[in-house]
Amino acid sequence: MEVEDLRQHISRSFNADIESLYNSVLTMGGLVEEQLDRAIEALTTRDSALGLQVAQDDFKINRMEVSIDEACSRILATRAPAAGDLRLIVAIIKTITDLERIGDEAEKIGRLAARLAGVERPTTNYRELRNLAGHVKQMIRGTLDAFARLDAKGALEIVKADEIVDEEYESIHRQAITFMMEDPRTISRGMDSMWLARSLERIGDHAKNISEYVVYMVHGKDIRYTSVEAIEAEVTLAGEVAEANT
Amino acid sequence: MLRRRWAKQVVFLAAWLAAAALLGLLFGAPAWWLTAALLLYVAHTLRYIFLLDRMLDGGKRHAPFATRGLWAEILARVDTIKTKSRNRKKKFHRVLREIRESTGALSDGGVILNGDNEIVWFNPAATLLLGLDPRTDIGRRLDNLIRHPEFVSYLAEPGGEGITFPSPKMESAWLALQIIPYGRDQRIAIVRNVTREVNLERTRRDFVANASHELRSPLTVLSGYLDTFADDEDLPNRWKVPIAEMLRQSNRMTQILRDLMELMRLESAESDASRDFVDVCTMLGLMVRDFDSAPAEHPAVSLQLETDAALLGNETELHSIFFNLIHNAVRFTPATGSVAVVWRTDDQGAAFEVTDTGIGIPEEEIPRITERFYRVDPGRSRAMGGTGLGLAIVKHAVQRHNGVLEIASVEGEGSSFRCRFAPERLLYRGGQAEAAV
Repeated sequence: MEVEDLRQHISRSFNADIESLYNSVLTMGGLVEEQLDRAIEALTTRDSALGLQVAQDDFKINRMEVSIDEACSRILATRAPAAGDLRLIVAIIKTITDLERIGDEAEKIGRLAARLAGVERPTTNYRELRNLAGHVKQMIRGTLDAFARLDAKGALEIVKADEIVDEEYESIHRQAITFMMEDPRTISRGMDSMWLARSLERIGDHAKNISEYVVYMVHGKDIRYTSVEAIEAEVTLAGEVAEANT
Repeated sequence: MLRRRWAKQVVFLAAWLAAAALLGLLFGAPAWWLTAALLLYVAHTLRYIFLLDRMLDGGKRHAPFATRGLWAEILARVDTIKTKSRNRKKKFHRVLREIRESTGALSDGGVILNGDNEIVWFNPAATLLLGLDPRTDIGRRLDNLIRHPEFVSYLAEPGGEGITFPSPKMESAWLALQIIPYGRDQRIAIVRNVTREVNLERTRRDFVANASHELRSPLTVLSGYLDTFADDEDLPNRWKVPIAEMLRQSNRMTQILRDLMELMRLESAESDASRDFVDVCTMLGLMVRDFDSAPAEHPAVSLQLETDAALLGNETELHSIFFNLIHNAVRFTPATGSVAVVWRTDDQGAAFEVTDTGIGIPEEEIPRITERFYRVDPGRSRAMGGTGLGLAIVKHAVQRHNGVLEIASVEGEGSSFRCRFAPERLLYRGGQAEAAV
C-alpha cells in the first residue's frame, strides 16, 4: 500500500501513462524553478528586461498545467485507478495547482523586479530579500526532490523549513515599515519590496503544500492542519509499518 | 587421454569382476562373490563422488587423494579449474576496485544512464556536483532530479557540444554537461564544474560592453566637433583633407563600437530570439532599393522574392543579418558585377541567399571568416571601411533564430551566403499559418 515503485501494474501502457504523467509534473517543476531563479536574478542584477521576460514566460507554466490536468482526467476516466495510483493522481492534480500558483508569484516578482530596477536601491541591494529568496528556492528544490524520490522524510524537512521563511518574512515586513516611517520618500519602493517578500512567502507556503501532498501520496496520510510533531510521529510510524511489512 | 583413461577403467572393472567370478568358482557361490565385488566398486565410486561434491561445495582440497586412476585425474582437473577461476575472480575484483577508485578520484562527475534515462551508476563527484544521493537515486530518472528546462530538453535530444547550466546543488556554480552514447542503449553523462570559465567569460563580456559604452561618449563629442569643422566654409584649405579624414575615422570608430555592443548583446542574450512577426519581403524590398539607389558607384543589386512567407523573430536582429550580408556583397563586388538576393521556401524551411560575383573567399579561410575581426586581406577590407564584426553578428543572430549560416565561395568568382531558417520560425500568408507560437 506504500507507493514506492510506479511500475507495478500488470498493464504496461498504464505504467507508461503514469510514468509520463509523473515526469511531466517534474518537468513543470523544473520550469517553475527556472522562472523563480530568473526572477530573483532580475532583482539582483537590476535587469528589467529579464524581469519582464519572466512575466511574459508564465504562459508556458499555465499551458503545462492545462495539459497535465487533461492527462489526469483521462487516466481517471479510462483506468479508474485505486489505492496508491488514485492517491498519486489526486496528489498530482493538487501539486500542479500549487506549481502554477508559484509560477504566478514568480511572474509578480519578475514585474516588481523590473520596476525596482529603475529606482534607487537601498545600500544592501535587498540583501534580506535575496536571503529569503534563497531559502524559498531551496524549499522548492527540496520539495520537488522529495516528489521525485517519493521521500516522505525529505518532504517533512520542507514543512519544517516553512517556519523559518515565515519568520524571515515577518522581519522583512517590520523592517520595511520602519524604513517607510523614517523616510516617507521610500514608501513606494518599500511597498514594492513588501509585495515581493509577500510573493516569496506565498511560494514557501505552496512548496509546503506540495510537500504535504508528497506525504499523502507516499503514506496515504493527510497531514494538513496538523502540528509538525504529530506529523513526524505519524510518518515515522508509517515508515516502520511499511518496513515491517516487507 | 580421455579414451585411454576410460579404457583402463573398463579393463580394471572387467578384471575386478573376473577375479571375483574366479574366486566364486573356486570357493563356491559365485553370485555372492560377484555381488560383493560390485558393492565394493559402488562404494569406491560413491566415496569419490562424495569427495568431488565436497570440493565443489567450496571446501578446500583434501589431499591426498588417490594418486592414480580415473578419479584422481577427475579430481585433479576440477581442482585446477577451481584455482584458475579463483585467481581470475581475484584479478577482476582488483581491476574493478581500481576502476572504482580511479573514477571516484576524478573531479568530473560521471553518471551512467540506461535507455529510459534512469540512473545506473554515478561516481562521488556526481554526488557533489549534481546533488545525487547514492542511497536513493539509483534507478530514478535523471531528468526528475535535475529539472533545469535546458537540461531536460538536452537529455531528450542530446547532440552537439553539450550544455552549460547552473548547478542544482551548489549556489552560483555552473556545470557543463555532455552526454555520450555507448554500447546498446547506454549513455554516460559527463559533468564538469565550469564556474570559473563562466565567470571569466562574463567578466570579459562585461569589460567589452563597459569599455565600448565608456568610449562612446567622448567619441560622440569628437565627431560632433569634427562635423562642425567639416561644414565650416572658413576652414583653411590645408585643414580640409585632415579634418575630413578624421571625421571618417571617428565615424568608423563609432561604427565599430556599435557593432561590438551589438555583438556583446547577442552573445549575452538568451539562447532564443523572440518571436515577433517580421515581414521579410517588405524589409528586403526597402533594403535592396536603398542599396541600389546609393549615390556611390556599386554593382547591380537584384531582389527575387519566391515566397511571401514571414519570419517569427527579432526585427532588429533580422535586419542586421540581411543588411550585413547584402552590404558585404556590395562592398566586395566590383561595380561591373552583380549581387542577387533571394528569399525562398522549401520543405526544410526558408532560405535567405545573397550571391555575388565579387572577389570571393579562399577556401581555407571560409571557416574563419565569421570570427571577430578576422580579415582575409586586412589592408583591403579596412580600406573599404568594414568593422570586421559584421559576419560574427550575422552568425550569432542566425543561431539565435535556430538557423544555420552556410557559406560557399570560389576565389575570384564570387561568394554565396545562405541563411536557413527552420519551418517553425515561418509564417505563411494566405491563412495557412503553420507556425507554432
